[in-house]
Amino acid sequence: MRVIAVIPAYNEAGRIASVVEHTRKFVDEVVVANDGSTDDTAEVARRAGATVVSHPQNCGAGAATMTGIDAARSLGADVIVTLDADEQHDPRDIPSLLQPILGDRADFVFANRFGQKNRIPFIRRFFNAVGNLVTFATTGRWVNDSQCGFKVFGPRAVHEVALRMSGYEFCTELVREAVQHKWRIAEVPIKVLYSQYTLAKGQSFANGVKTALRILLRSFLR
Amino acid sequence: MASMLPLTPYQIIAPLISLLAILYVWSLVMKQKKTIWEGFLWTFFWTAIAIIALFPPVLDYLAFVMGFKDRQNALLITFLGVISFIVFAQIVRLEELEQRQTKLTRSIALRDAGLDGKHQCGGECCKR
Repeated sequence: MRVIAVIPAYNEAGRIASVVEHTRKFVDEVVVANDGSTDDTAEVARRAGATVVSHPQNCGAGAATMTGIDAARSLGADVIVTLDADEQHDPRDIPSLLQPILGDRADFVFANRFGQKNRIPFIRRFFNAVGNLVTFATTGRWVNDSQCGFKVFGPRAVHEVALRMSGYEFCTELVREAVQHKWRIAEVPIKVLYSQYTLAKGQSFANGVKTALRILLRSFLR
Repeated sequence: MASMLPLTPYQIIAPLISLLAILYVWSLVMKQKKTIWEGFLWTFFWTAIAIIALFPPVLDYLAFVMGFKDRQNALLITFLGVISFIVFAQIVRLEELEQRQTKLTRSIALRDAGLDGKHQCGGECCKR
């Protein structure tokens, strides 16, 4: 199976090279979806060996992820791994995340940052709990870590996924897609590395509220 | 209908505006710029405006049916409802525009990378 990693990135010139280089060890190809960065993210990622697709302007994590998925499909991906560009996820977890797909036990795998002992700040735990609740309210499916960017799409999910939400709401939309298409879901515990940088780049409370409202609105509009 | 006499300027102007609006809406329907559904919807709306202007006691009946204390409250609540609908329609429109813009941006990104339209999805994901 051809495994391609998709990394949505926005102004990550300082970190993207390391993420791409480490990820390449575990997949066949790496696609970086550069979401209108104003720094050298695209050039740095290209030099590190990634295929780069660049949005002319910033559209949001969901749009960048979908662009990366489309690019990976064009490159013949059977399995797609998505992970964050800020070094929060450890690419060494990719093999364990791939296991349910390779063993044909799941169509879609969620990483679970809360499945093992991780140092996660309280505020992050709180935001994720709210995200999980909103996701459950709109999809009817409980996922322990619905808002994590580390995911694996099996062949069926690669074929069927079609995200329409542009921002962070896409995490909830993915759960909805899984429910709608009746994908078999697996959850795999992972390590997570929170640094000052990662925390500073994370969502604010205002953004979290905005995201929740957008999820509810979109679920109503569908 | 004692309340109709004498007619106030509002009771003359409002139905006239309603009539013109209805004619305008149906002219747009004829030019296929609006759907028949929209034609009926706007006709219903402007007819209601005209009826309320000509027969104000209708509001008393509405207030009674909807459980409002008096006609002023009924009018206020009705217009709040109309404004809410307009705001909602605008939000829907904005969402549509944002999605179109994002779709366009994504298409440009894939085209520039030479990766547009090559994947074998059987059309399923591209339909949506």
